[in-house]
Amino acid sequence: MVGVRVLLVCLLAAAVAAAAAGARPNATPGVTATEIHLGSSVPLSGEAAIAGNVARGAEAYFKYVNAKGGVNGRRIKFTYLDDGYDPGRAVNNTIRLVQQEQVFAMFSSLGTNNNLAVRKLLNDNKVPQLFVSSGATTFGRDYKKYPWTIGYIPPYSEEGAIFGRYIVKNIKKPKVAILYQDDDYGRDLVSGLRRGLGAKAKSIVARVGYDPTSSDVQPQVTQLKASKANVLMVFAFGKFSLQAFNAVSRLNWKPQIFVNDVSSASALMSIVPQKAANGAISIVFGKDPASSLWKSDKGIRLFQSILKQHGQDITSRDLKDGYFTAGMATAYTMVTTLKKAGRNLTRQSVMNAATHLNEKGNPFVLPGIVIHTTPKSRFPLTQVRLQRWQNNNWRPFGKLISARPR
Amino acid sequence: MKLKLVLEILGFVALAVLVAVMPSFVSDFHSREFAIVGMYFIALLGLGVLTGYSGQISLGHGAFMAIGGYTTAILSVDGISGHPVRDIWTIPIAGVVAGLAGLLVGLPALRLSGLYLALITFGIAVSFPQLPKKFGGFLGGTSGQILNLVKAPFGLDLTPNDWMYYLTWGIALVLLAVAWWLLRGPTGRALQAIRDSEVAAASSGINLAFYKTLAFGISAFYAGVAGALYAMASAYVNPDTFPIILSIYLVVGLAVGGLGSLGGLIAGAALIYFLQNHADTVARWVNHLPAVDLNPKQPGISSAIFGAVLILVMLLLPTGAGGLLRKVFRPLTTRLYTRS
Amino acid sequence: MAVAAFTWTEFAQQLAAGIREGAIYAGLALALVIIYRSTRVINFAQGELATFTTFIAWSLMNHGLSFWSAFPIVLAIAFTGGVAIERILIRPVENASVLTIVIITLGLALLLNGLMSIIWGGQNRQFHGPFSTRTIDVGGVPISVQDIGIVVTSLALVALLALFFRYTKLGLAMRAAAVNPASSRLVGVRVSWMLALGWGIAAVLGAVAGMMIAPVVFLDPNMMQTILLYAFAAAVLGGLDSPLGAVVGGILLGVTITLLGRYVEFIGSTLKLPAALLLILVLLLVRPGGLFGKVAVRRV
Repeated sequence: MVGVRVLLVCLLAAAVAAAAAGARPNATPGVTATEIHLGSSVPLSGEAAIAGNVARGAEAYFKYVNAKGGVNGRRIKFTYLDDGYDPGRAVNNTIRLVQQEQVFAMFSSLGTNNNLAVRKLLNDNKVPQLFVSSGATTFGRDYKKYPWTIGYIPPYSEEGAIFGRYIVKNIKKPKVAILYQDDDYGRDLVSGLRRGLGAKAKSIVARVGYDPTSSDVQPQVTQLKASKANVLMVFAFGKFSLQAFNAVSRLNWKPQIFVNDVSSASALMSIVPQKAANGAISIVFGKDPASSLWKSDKGIRLFQSILKQHGQDITSRDLKDGYFTAGMATAYTMVTTLKKAGRNLTRQSVMNAATHLNEKGNPFVLPGIVIHTTPKSRFPLTQVRLQRWQNNNWRPFGKLISARPR
Repeated sequence: MKLKLVLEILGFVALAVLVAVMPSFVSDFHSREFAIVGMYFIALLGLGVLTGYSGQISLGHGAFMAIGGYTTAILSVDGISGHPVRDIWTIPIAGVVAGLAGLLVGLPALRLSGLYLALITFGIAVSFPQLPKKFGGFLGGTSGQILNLVKAPFGLDLTPNDWMYYLTWGIALVLLAVAWWLLRGPTGRALQAIRDSEVAAASSGINLAFYKTLAFGISAFYAGVAGALYAMASAYVNPDTFPIILSIYLVVGLAVGGLGSLGGLIAGAALIYFLQNHADTVARWVNHLPAVDLNPKQPGISSAIFGAVLILVMLLLPTGAGGLLRKVFRPLTTRLYTRS
Repeated sequence: MAVAAFTWTEFAQQLAAGIREGAIYAGLALALVIIYRSTRVINFAQGELATFTTFIAWSLMNHGLSFWSAFPIVLAIAFTGGVAIERILIRPVENASVLTIVIITLGLALLLNGLMSIIWGGQNRQFHGPFSTRTIDVGGVPISVQDIGIVVTSLALVALLALFFRYTKLGLAMRAAAVNPASSRLVGVRVSWMLALGWGIAAVLGAVAGMMIAPVVFLDPNMMQTILLYAFAAAVLGGLDSPLGAVVGGILLGVTITLLGRYVEFIGSTLKLPAALLLILVLLLVRPGGLFGKVAVRRV
């Protein structure tokens, strides 16, 4: 009995020693002579599962880059895990990726709260939290406390401010009603709108929030219509935005509608009652693959060919899915950053590169946009255009506007 | 009877030994995974007392975990009159707060039975995550509360993951012993009598109200402790940390572990954790079947796999892992009993 | 920050919205009640089943069929599916604990949800229902024809069911099988097929509910999740074994919650579900069987 136990312990000790001897101490985790390992946590199941397609889009792009020789002689290995939009699982995934998989950096994890949940953990361990898939202003703004974090898309509050400024400039006697998702996302947009309206903030006559557990937002829209507003802000997600347009149409209401970028995909706008959708205004910074505007665009053609060649289980619907494009745009910037960081790749050097970006010609965002960062201005994508929905299509108008927080 | 007792104590000791040595065999992250399994196990122990022993179905125990988790968050961040409480000491407080909530729920539950109770508790699971959103101020609202990262205390040379592991399983073993001891005695017998026939139990003088409410309180206490530990491990709580589906997963773990069996619950806890976080591994196994080619990352695959596995397990093992264990051990014990 | 003040026009609109919401809950609650009555099981997969069959309808319509051509096909598929599920998944564990059966329906819900994402994807889609999207003017209040259609359909369904259960032999047999299986077998009722029939009918009810709701809330795999929660509430409110209760409960719930959400600022949108829960809990404490349900009285 005892003999067997001793033997087992000896074998175990030998195995551990062998493993320890075999492992070479690695200066930078996740970087070898031939490979860079990036990690991400996104929802691949549950309500938010379609947003998880950003990771699939990025994955396809990295494979494309690898096929062309990689970055500075290294291939990119991209591991992304499902968190079902649950912050507890996002934390678990991130710890697994950082400690078990030893990734070089976390890239484009999705969800404001999920990224908030892991931000301290990553920063305390000096692991880069790159190009977070969330427009919450804090990711770009609080760099003094969290120097290893950087966002990507324009902050939601700026989007609201842009709408506000447009209203002040272009709508006489505005009476603004707001339908917003009652969480930080919606409230960010609302506070931005207020700021943009400036002195005219009093023109907000009604403001009704809805909870994501609602089954339909018609009661909210009904309440807003009763305020006799002539402007309606739809700061809502996905199906709630659709329901809002439905309700507006059913109630025979004809306000000037502003819809937030996240819900402005052509695929969504084209299935709501057009009498409500026509004339709606939104902002845009990426190329919507479902829009006829970019049908023959080189960037979108590239996007679709990359998806077809390097994507996994891609359906024809996916080729028109803006989440894939958004993922690819972010991946493009990631590759730019890695190239800039050079062959001597460390976590510090990649953060330096990420905070000194001046990327032009990202094929998956609007032409003319420059993805620009400085150590004190960590908002990579801050240029947008306004667009108007007309005859089943978005038509951008005006010049590129700045969405950089002032 | 004596033999059964000896077997149970041996089983407990074996478990304790396994728990003690496990971290030396596995990676640091795996320690964390086993720690989370341990947290589910603690919650399931409580649920086992409630549903397995007193027969009351609760589809809302995620809410009690949330109460525990939020208690820990608030105490360790804001503290009592400005003094943050050390995270370990918040655990028993979280348990007690959750336990009190359980008693509160247990009272009206007396008037409900069977599926009505199940649905009302499900209603609690659904409603509870809404509360922090409304009372944003000190509960953190949708963006939640960020806790301090866990560190081993008293200068013990343990990684945070190993520390969480030992803390969790230490508490789990203690709570397992408590539950086992409780259920062996008059309380356990009373609860089982109630489960088997409330009318008969009442006629033999058992105070239904007392025991049924007690069962709710105890099970909520356990869930609260589990929630507190989970909050510590995640260093973050918001309404999505303890979502509706958590309550469902707990019941799933209970059914798979087997009603009326404490040991089987470890299997249930492992299943809950494994299916959520390693659905890709399962997808890869399934891919070995002919004509099956699944992409583990495709949205929907993990839900489909979870669902299919659940159905299969329930069809094949209606009495769960515990039932299987009992079937395996029964010939052993009965043969030694019957003398012919 | 002014929220719109009270006007009668708006009140009427909110009332109408509440009635329509309630009719939606009622449709699904009806399906839940039918299964409960016949098999004493709560089917947690009811919502996903309804959405699944609606997706089938969408696919058929996408391939060129009109709504009314697809409608009977979908109902037939739903009925067959419901019967098959009862035979394959529920029957083997008929005598196992309630918990086991609940877990199986939960597993089914997860499986169906996953399958829908895999087969059709998670995007929102438009579903063209049978009712026109026109709005008519009822005394100054714009009410949509669709909303009226939904309410009328729910009421018609419960009427049809009532007639079926009361006046047909099959309906009688189903009721007998649910109330007293042993005696029913003695008089020749094939009890186990009555259970399957119950599931089939419930699946059909769910399909109809799904096809009515989808035009309003847009079709996606998670369409029924919140609605199912309210449907549970409605079913419990009305009494788990009363179809009439399901409809009354549904509409009552829909109206109360909508009006509370609108006019009680504290509740707003966030606390609608908890408010529903509280209402039902209070009701159950007073009437343990719900509004119309019957609960066996135990006296010790």
